[in-house]
Amino acid sequence: MGTSYIYKRDASRLFIALRENGKRYKIYIPKESKPVIDGVEQDIDFVEQEDFHYTFDWNGKRFHCELVSRDQNKAIIKVNGVEYKFSLESLFSYIRHGMIDKDSSQINENNIVAPMPGKIVDIFLSEGDLVNEGEPILTLEAMKMQNEISANCNGVIRKIRVQQGQSVMKDELLVEINSIDV
Amino acid sequence: MKKRLLIANRSEIAIRIIRSAHKLGMLAVVFQSDREPDALYLNYADEIIPARDASNEKPIFLDADLIVKLALEHDIDLIHPGYGFLSENPDFAQLCVENGINFIGPSPELIRDMGLKTVAKRMAIEAGLPLVPGSEGAVNDAGAAKLFADKIGYPVILKASAGGGGRGMRIVEKPETIERNFKSASDEALAAFSNGDMFIEKYLQNPKHLEFQILGDKYGNVVHLGERECSLQRKHQKILEEAPSASVNPSMRKEMGDMAVRFAKSIGYYSAGTIEFIMDEDGSYFFMEMNTRIQVEHPVTEMVTGVDLVDWQIRIALGEELTLKQKDISINGWAIECRVNTEDPQNRFSPQTGFIDKIHFPQDPTIRIETGVQSGSVVTPYFDSMIAKIIVHDIDRKAVIAKTLKALYEFSLIGLKTTVPFCRTVLQHPEFVNATYTTRWVDSIFTPEMLENEEDEMIGALAATIMYASEYLQLSSDLPTYKNDNLNVWVLNKRLNY
Repeated sequence: MGTSYIYKRDASRLFIALRENGKRYKIYIPKESKPVIDGVEQDIDFVEQEDFHYTFDWNGKRFHCELVSRDQNKAIIKVNGVEYKFSLESLFSYIRHGMIDKDSSQINENNIVAPMPGKIVDIFLSEGDLVNEGEPILTLEAMKMQNEISANCNGVIRKIRVQQGQSVMKDELLVEINSIDV
Repeated sequence: MKKRLLIANRSEIAIRIIRSAHKLGMLAVVFQSDREPDALYLNYADEIIPARDASNEKPIFLDADLIVKLALEHDIDLIHPGYGFLSENPDFAQLCVENGINFIGPSPELIRDMGLKTVAKRMAIEAGLPLVPGSEGAVNDAGAAKLFADKIGYPVILKASAGGGGRGMRIVEKPETIERNFKSASDEALAAFSNGDMFIEKYLQNPKHLEFQILGDKYGNVVHLGERECSLQRKHQKILEEAPSASVNPSMRKEMGDMAVRFAKSIGYYSAGTIEFIMDEDGSYFFMEMNTRIQVEHPVTEMVTGVDLVDWQIRIALGEELTLKQKDISINGWAIECRVNTEDPQNRFSPQTGFIDKIHFPQDPTIRIETGVQSGSVVTPYFDSMIAKIIVHDIDRKAVIAKTLKALYEFSLIGLKTTVPFCRTVLQHPEFVNATYTTRWVDSIFTPEMLENEEDEMIGALAATIMYASEYLQLSSDLPTYKNDNLNVWVLNKRLNY
């Protein structure tokens, strides 16, 4: 289930790299596949690694990366001889710093409410999980019909307000999601 | 007995000269300077003379007396001065000659003449070479300056006769400001040099730098080997050169080349030499100066002509006749040379010194690499920052640009920053691609942001993230809420496909 989705549960593998010029990359390093950068899995090959030095192949080009300096979460990386400075955040610190989903209206938009009264028969994910847009989070049974309720954005599950077996009213809050599509 | 050739130089050019010495069956002797006792070129020499110059004021390569003294002690037959250092020092050449050592280069007198700008220009005029229009001597006053400028056209440059370092120098764009500028420049010159004499010259706003390579022997035979374009300069230091130049068509090549040959013949020049021209936007060109040494950028000429210039320099010094005829020399394809300097193009080209942890050159055997360093070498502050040259040859300009760019992407150096990213930027810039670039390119067009590109930035973000993540995930694996697993097979298996 869900194997075709890009983001695989473990939100601790999602990082944000920010450049001084405001440029931002969302980088997800899955456990067993290639990196996902800004939502796209990139066919980047790891050619070589030494302590502070990586070489990648991508699009038929070679990229030599060297860590020039590192100060807490700030790093200067030399790529093919040119330096770029990034500050790095885990998804959690990024959310904590209020850089994503800061205003509550945004949170409300990403909240999932019950589209009809019914009963929660199954919950597939847990709080803290990374979820893909369109990925089922739970099953709501209404009038003998099972309805999969899916995420409306890529994000991390902040709160699950319901339990398995619980009956819910229409428009009752089911799940809160922190969107990462910002 | 084998002839003993001493190289009064270091780094890549020492290795280049050793190659020619060996080809000609000579023993190559070099100095070991205490300022870089483990230099790469030492590995290639047949014999090493310890210079013991640690406590000397200047390194061995600038110490004419010590060079000649050691050369005599070591039975040296010929000295090759390379470029820079004492290569265009007439006193050094003279000292060699006086001590019976064959100096590889032209006569000391010619080195002296060509080193004096006014003498060289006078000789060029006599040989019929065009010079930038200007007053031959000082102009008397602001009024005379204006009359002269009106005649040659604006913009003009006013220069203090005794000047230097930009003082007493003014660029004048229009007639209304010439009198005021003349007065202020003259006052400045008077204050700085106690001499307010000014001369005036036409100012070329967007010039190209072209130079013709010549070879002459001691019997009056001279040929030219076409031109090089070296317009890409920063503070008069060339960074990237090409041969031929897209701004020179075959009839111009013949005209300018014949002119260079005529000039060399008229002054009785022998050895390798370079005649520099400055070219205006309208295609008019003017003699600038003559260099009497082998030049850093000589390989681009070698690549397109197939002529070994250093071999010929040595053979000519030995009194051989130049068997090359002008009709035998043709320009085949196109060549580009990129200088690898340990300078930081993101930070005003500030010099970088320290260890080269690892250096990797493109592996294509058709790409010519001239290097003075290897992995583990040290770049010291004692010598110049050029550590290597990457020279690429292909069938035409478009092809060679693409091939050079690819070669530069294969180059990597861990430890120090270099001018390679700068060269990549140049090769992709429209003004270079369409060959309209001029000597003003670096000052008027280049910005450090041009070195960046989105692909490198994204991969940089990835690399930074992996380095950060490997720590972060290790750290968090101690926490019970996270699974205790390692980073990624993609990362861990990195050696599998290598």
